[in-house]
This record gives sequence, structure tokens and C-alpha cells, in this order.
Amino acid sequence: MRNIWYRIHAPHVAKKVQPGQFVIVRAFKNGERIPLTPVMWDRDEGWIVLITFIRGRTTMRMANELKPGDEILNIAGPLGNPAEMEKFGKILAIGAYTGIVEVYPIAKAWQELGNEVTTLHVTFEPMVVLKDELEEAVGRHILETVPIDPNLDFPTNMKNVTKRLTEKVRELLEKEEYDMVFMVGPAGDQRAVFNVVKEFGIPMKSDLHPIMVDGTGMCGACRVTVGGEVKFACIDGPEFDAYQVNWDELIARSGYYTDMEQRAMQEYMKALQGGEQ
Amino acid sequence: MAVKRKIIKERVPTPEMPAEERIKSFAEVNLGYTFELAVKEAERCLQCPYNYAPCIKGCPVHIDIPGFISKLVQYRDDPDKAVKEALNVIWACNSLPATTGRVCPQEDQCEMNCVMGKVGDKINIGKLERFVADYAREKGIDEELLFEIIPKIEKKGQSVAIIGAGPAGLTAAGELAKLGYDVTIYEALHEAGGVLMYGIPEFRLPKSIVESEIDKLRKLGVKILTDHVVGRTVTIEELLEEYDAVFIGSGAGTPRLINAPGINLNGIYTANEFLTRVNLMKAYLFPEYDTPVKVGKRVVVIGAGNTAMDAARSARRFGAEVTIAYRRGPEDVSARVEEVHHAKEEGIKFEFYINPVEFIGDENGKVKAVKFEKMKALDERDSRGKRKIVGTGEYVTLEADTVIIAIGKHPNRLIVNTPGLKVERGRIVVDENLMTSIPGVFAGGDAIRGEATVILAMGDGRMAAKAIHEYLTKKRENRNA
Ligand SMILES: Cc1cc2nc3c(=O)[nH]c(=O)nc-3n(C[C@H](O)[C@H](O)[C@H](O)COP(=O)(O)OP(=O)(O)OC[C@H]3O[C@@H](n4cnc5c(N)ncnc54)[C@H](O)[C@@H]3O)c2cc1C
Ligand SMILES: Cc1cc2nc3c(=O)[nH]c(=O)nc-3n(C[C@H](O)[C@H](O)[C@H](O)COP(=O)(O)OP(=O)(O)OC[C@H]3O[C@@H](n4cnc5c(N)ncnc54)[C@H](O)[C@@H]3O)c2cc1C
Ligand code: SF4
Ligand code: FES
Repeated sequence: MRNIWYRIHAPHVAKKVQPGQFVIVRAFKNGERIPLTPVMWDRDEGWIVLITFIRGRTTMRMANELKPGDEILNIAGPLGNPAEMEKFGKILAIGAYTGIVEVYPIAKAWQELGNEVTTLHVTFEPMVVLKDELEEAVGRHILETVPIDPNLDFPTNMKNVTKRLTEKVRELLEKEEYDMVFMVGPAGDQRAVFNVVKEFGIPMKSDLHPIMVDGTGMCGACRVTVGGEVKFACIDGPEFDAYQVNWDELIARSGYYTDMEQRAMQEYMKALQGGEQ
Repeated sequence: MAVKRKIIKERVPTPEMPAEERIKSFAEVNLGYTFELAVKEAERCLQCPYNYAPCIKGCPVHIDIPGFISKLVQYRDDPDKAVKEALNVIWACNSLPATTGRVCPQEDQCEMNCVMGKVGDKINIGKLERFVADYAREKGIDEELLFEIIPKIEKKGQSVAIIGAGPAGLTAAGELAKLGYDVTIYEALHEAGGVLMYGIPEFRLPKSIVESEIDKLRKLGVKILTDHVVGRTVTIEELLEEYDAVFIGSGAGTPRLINAPGINLNGIYTANEFLTRVNLMKAYLFPEYDTPVKVGKRVVVIGAGNTAMDAARSARRFGAEVTIAYRRGPEDVSARVEEVHHAKEEGIKFEFYINPVEFIGDENGKVKAVKFEKMKALDERDSRGKRKIVGTGEYVTLEADTVIIAIGKHPNRLIVNTPGLKVERGRIVVDENLMTSIPGVFAGGDAIRGEATVILAMGDGRMAAKAIHEYLTKKRENRNA
């Protein structure tokens, strides 16, 4: 469970990318197309930084098989709509797990615009990322880590993260007055946080992560129901009003391939142990 | 004086893989002619005079069909020469014959009009076209012809940007490159080819063939920038600053959904997603390829066009029981006759006059059945000449683990939202020269037509290339004046 940083020469993306947008990466010939977020970039030098933590086969393969100097087959983008850049006032920007890497460019830009931004990162200890960068970029960065209990299974460990996340959000909202909450993270955690935020009646924006294939509005894999209407997260989003999202549907759709993803991962691990690539 | 010919009524058949074998693989179904068989079929052609030949009139790009067929007979003792001459004739109008020979609805176009139909079977024009292209590719004859063309190209010193590497964009690119323009294609996906690559399955159009057609364009000097999404990576306005003209061939990629409860249940795919996973991402080779796809035991495909047939036949190859559900009757099926025939041979069931009204899910948000309303046809016809249908108030439910929606597509929104670009009902509006409301920006193919066909998209590509050539010639002259 390491965070892996990739600095990639992709001038076509670097030139255009805005906070809130993403790219689709296809790293290997037999690989999947997966959405990832440019976290930093340099328009003149033409590079972007992507940060992943190892989730399944693709992120694992990228970590194992890509070495400095290698070429990534494809990077399409930037995709999705840029985050709204306005003076909202006092903002609580939450990232669960790697969600924080997507929060970073947006929170930084909001702070630069004159907003008062608090970022909250809740995650497992080994997954802490961008701590120094966020402390520098925003008004206040709160980091909450949850230890991994080796005696508990992974889903139970994740529940502990969700618990800490909701407790912390409640604590903050009770103590301070925010004009807006923004969040990136797994759909289940987003729904849990939304249920807290709703009680306080504060506006909340969510960056949604449905499963994507093309990222250009062509396949419909990323469809989500927002305000009773079917939207495509890749071209209508990825940011939506949390109050309008059909969370149950999103959560169900996000888990559709879990069994196959696990199988792909197992096959990959077997191949690694067998000494093949 | 005309030579008296013996009329051979029956078509020379092309060999096909047997149905029980082909549903186990994605290998090509139709095996095509050998030279001997092609000549035999070519000999049946009556060689109607050029200005009369009804087959030419039926062809949207007016290929000189008797012209290319005659070469096969004329040079029958020298197959390489026969094919080279024939290909030269085809190329004058069509740069992707290996593709059109496989996917054109010939029965509604060239072959529909063939006079042989009055006395026997129509000439198998499509398979002859395909034979010429395949033989030429296998023997490197197409490259030979290409390298004869390349040195004759006069560079114009002007450049054109093409949006989308589907049949429309590829054709426009090829024609403009031959005219001496510097051409760059901007393609959103990681592979060029458009629907030919992501939509039409391997068993109907092997991807290696599309790749070789695209390779030829690269040899002509066309630059292809994949992973470049116009509207995001670069805008049309920016392209206009960098290039002298722009052609939009971005197709109709946005899937239409059914406005019924449960449409977002798991297991409900749009045909585009399903086919993209299977074709472009090779999900049928999972886990060797990383992209998954889930095909249940019972698959219901909604719609009855080429897309529906492709989705149904692909699902069949995963071992599923497949039913095609269509709200109209058999006479309104818009898929090619050959595909419907192949689908039936492969054991796909058809249910007519049923219209989905609800998708029923289980407790995990996964589809388990589709509720349909039974429809009936009236005598009255709609604007497209199809009989109007109405609901009967009676319902039927089909069980399904996987549902594939194949009811059509809209043009890509990222392009359509360009400021100043005139759009009607989602389609880009063009004048008789295929120029859009933005000067110097032309468009063709599915982006202006909605869903059409490969050959119509190619026809637009050719016509736009001609119009762009005229436009840029004027621009050159004005600059020089
Ligand atoms: C707009 C957007 C931006 C993202 N940015 C980042 C980022 O900056 N860093 C990062 O680490 N992750 C990011 N993700 C998530 C990332 O795409 C998934 O972690 C990745 O696809 C997992 O692939 P895998 O093969 O390693 O794991 P898998 O075993 O395939 O999947 C693990 C989990 O990842 C999700 N997932 C799988 N495939 C996709 C897909 N094609 N599209 C979306 N989600 C998928 C599913 O929830 C799945 O259960 C982003 C997702 C979206 C939609
Ligand atoms: C499954 C299926 C089966 C079919 N079968 C047949 C058949 O048998 N016979 C037949 O004649 N027709 C068939 N058709 C229809 C035919 O494929 C289309 O009419 C034809 O491909 C249209 O060509 P096009 O070049 O206009 O668009 P497309 O082939 O759709 O190509 C458009 C290209 O533009 C790219 N693009 C889109 N937006 C952008 C953007 N913003 N920036 C950059 N690039 C972009 C897309 O990625 C794509 O590569 C079928 C269609 C489908 C979906
Ligand atoms: S109409 Fe038929 S017989 Fe006449 S030239 Fe065309 S293909 Fe040959
Ligand atoms: S990812 Fe395909 S439409 Fe959004």
C-alpha cells in the first residue's frame, strides 16, 4: 500500500489541465484504461505528476513494471470539467485515501483565490501523502491516520477509516462554520460524510468516481443519477452536488467488477511468483 | 459488337466458418474468395456500360464496379496484375475497400440494382471488392500502388486538422494528403479507426485490416495524434489558429439510453460500452487482457440495427443465450441482411413488437429481468416510411443477467458544444460544400448525419476534401495576389 508518484512528460495535457480534471492512462498493451488525476504540472516543461496507491492489477503493474525513463503508452486528456473557481468563503475539503491527491490542486487554487481552505485527510498510516505540500498550500491541513489492525480483515479496517472520517467531520462542523464542503474518496465514504453534512445543511460538492472506460462521453459506463437525471461523470462531471446524487446506485455500480478485479490480481500475483512478468 | 455471353445464374459462394465452430471464437466468419473463385464470380458480370450500370448508381461513392470487375477477368492469367489494375479503379473512389467490402450493406446499394438480379443471383460485388483489397494487402500490391502515387504529390504548403479517425476523417485525410496538404488527425481514443476499431467486432472486420489501412495513411504522410480529445486537449478555435482548415469527423459516439426505471442497474450495458470493452480492449481475452466484461447466461439485446447484431453475436461468443428484442417488426430491422442471417445461424432468438418499460433488479442493484410492453403496428406510416407502432397495454417479462442497449447514438457533445458551431437536433449543420457555420471548418459522417454507414461517412470525407481543396486554393491565391 504505497503511494507511487509518476512524473510524466505529457505536454498536450500539461498545457491545458485545470484543477478538477483527470486523464485516462493506458500503460500497457494489454492494459486497461484507468482514470487518474494530474496533481501537479508544469506547462512550460510539459510534465504532469500522477499519484496512485496500489489498488488492483493496473496500479500494481504500473508500480512494478514502469521504471524511470520508460514510456507510458497512452495518456488522454485533460478530461472532465475543471472545478469551479470562485470565492466560496470558508471551505472544508476532504480527501479519503488517495482522494486527497485530487483535492490538492483544487484546494490550492481555491486558497490562492482568497478562500479560507481547511483540508482533511483521513487514511491508513502508510498511505499518508502530500502532507507538507498541503500544509504549505492551504490555511490548515488536518491529517487523521488510522492504524491497520492486523487482527482485523481489510473491510473492517476500512470501516474504521469511515468511522474516524465521519467523527472528525462532525466535530469540525459543530465547532466551526463552513460555507461549503467538498469531498473526494470512495463512494461509500462520500455517502457517510454526506449524511453528516446534510444534518448541518451546508452545501456539498462531490467528485464522483464511477467506473470509466473512454472518459469522453462515448460508452456510458460512468453514468450516475443526479437529481433524477442520468449524467455521464466524465463529461458532465466529475463534480456534482452531493445532495442530488443517488448514492446507493453509485455504490452498487462501483463494485460491479470486484470479483473479476480480484481474479486479475491473483493471476498477476501468481505470474509474479512464477517469476514471469 | 457485343460478345454473346453465357449467363450463369448462381452466385459463386464464399466459404464460411460453420456456425457451431464460430460461436467459440472471434475469428472472421466469412473466409472470402480465392483468385479462382473471384474470377468465376467476376465472369458472371454482364459489364453494363459505365453510364448505364445501375450498380454504380447504387453505390454512394460511385465506384466503377464493372470497371474493376473486368480487370479480374481480363488479366486472369496474371493475378497480381489483375488485382493491381482492379485496385487502381477502386481507389479512385474508395480508399478503404477491405473495410467496405466487409461491412457495406451491399444488398441495399450496388447489389440492389444489379441487372443480373432479373435472371438470377446478383453479382457478389462486396465480396469481389473485399477479395481485391485482401489479395493486394497480402501481396504488398497496395503498397506498390501507393509508392507510385507518393512521388507525384505536389506539396501545397498548407495544413489541415482532422477531428476523429473514423471512416470520414480517415478518408478526408487520405484525399487531402494526396492533394499535397499537411494533414494531422486528432483522435480521442488510443487507437485510430473509429467504429471500425471499437464497434465492429473482430469476427466481422479483423482489426489487423483496419490497422493496415491506417498504416497506408501514415505512409502518405498523415500524422495521427491519438489521445487528443478536441474540446478538451485542444479546441476548434485553437486548431483554426494553427491550421488552414479543419474537418470534423467525430462521429455519433454518445449512446442513447432508454428512459425507464432501472436503466443504471449493474449488468445493463450500452452497446458502445460492451463493444468497446470487447473489441478495443479485448475483454474476450480477460485476464490476459486487463479489461473485464460480464456476460451472463441470458442476454437481452434491445434494438435491431448493426450495432444490436454485433452486440448479440459478441455475447453469443461468451456462451450466452441471446435474445434480440425489437419494438417493431421483422421488416423494419435495419441491420445488414448478412448479419441477421449470421445471427440466426448462430442461434440468436428474435422477439418482435416488444418495448422495454422497466428494468428489474435484485437486492444488489444487479439486473435480473426486463419488463416489456407488447406493441402492435398500425397501417399508418411515419416520416421514415415505417409503420407506426402503439402499446397494447399488455406486458411480458424476459429474464436477463445482462442487458445491452443498442437503440442508437447522438453526436459527441464535446464537439457539438463549440461556440459558434450551428447544431440542429444534436447534429452539426453544414452547407452543400459540407462547410459548417464556422468558416474554414467542415464536417461529415455521423457527426452531421446521426447514425449512418461507413460508405456514407467516406463519401462525405471525399467530398469535404474536395471542398477544402477548393477553399484552400482560393486562400492560397488570395495570399499570393
Ligand atoms: C476521475 C477519477 C480520478 C481518479 N484519480 C485517481 C488518482 O489520482 N489516483 C488514484 O490512485 N486513483 C484515482 N482514481 C481511481 C483509479 O482510477 C482506480 O483506482 C483504478 O482504476 C484502479 O485500477 P486497478 O486495476 O489498479 O484496480 P482494480 O482492481 O481494477 O479496481 C479497484 C477499484 O478501483 C475502481 N476502478 C477500477 N477500474 C476503474 C475504472 N476504469 N474507472 C474508475 N474506477 C475504477 C473500482 O472502485 C474498483 O473496485 C480516479 C478515478 C476517477 C474516476
Ligand atoms: C457496432 C456498429 C456496427 C456498425 N456496422 C456497420 C456496418 O456493418 N456497415 C456500415 O456501413 N455501417 C455500420 N455502422 C455505422 C458506421 O460504423 C458509422 O456510420 C461510421 O463509422 C461513421 O463514421 P464516422 O467517421 O463519421 O464516425 P466514427 O466511426 O464514429 O469515428 C469518429 C471518431 O472520432 C473520434 N472522436 C469523437 N469525438 C472526438 C473528439 N472530441 N476529439 C477527437 N476525436 C473524437 C472517435 O473516437 C472516433 O474514433 C456500425 C456502427 C456501429 C456502432
Ligand atoms: S449491374 Fe450487375 S451485371 Fe451490371 S455491371 Fe453492375 S455488377 Fe455487373
Ligand atoms: S467513461 Fe465512457 S461515457 Fe464516461
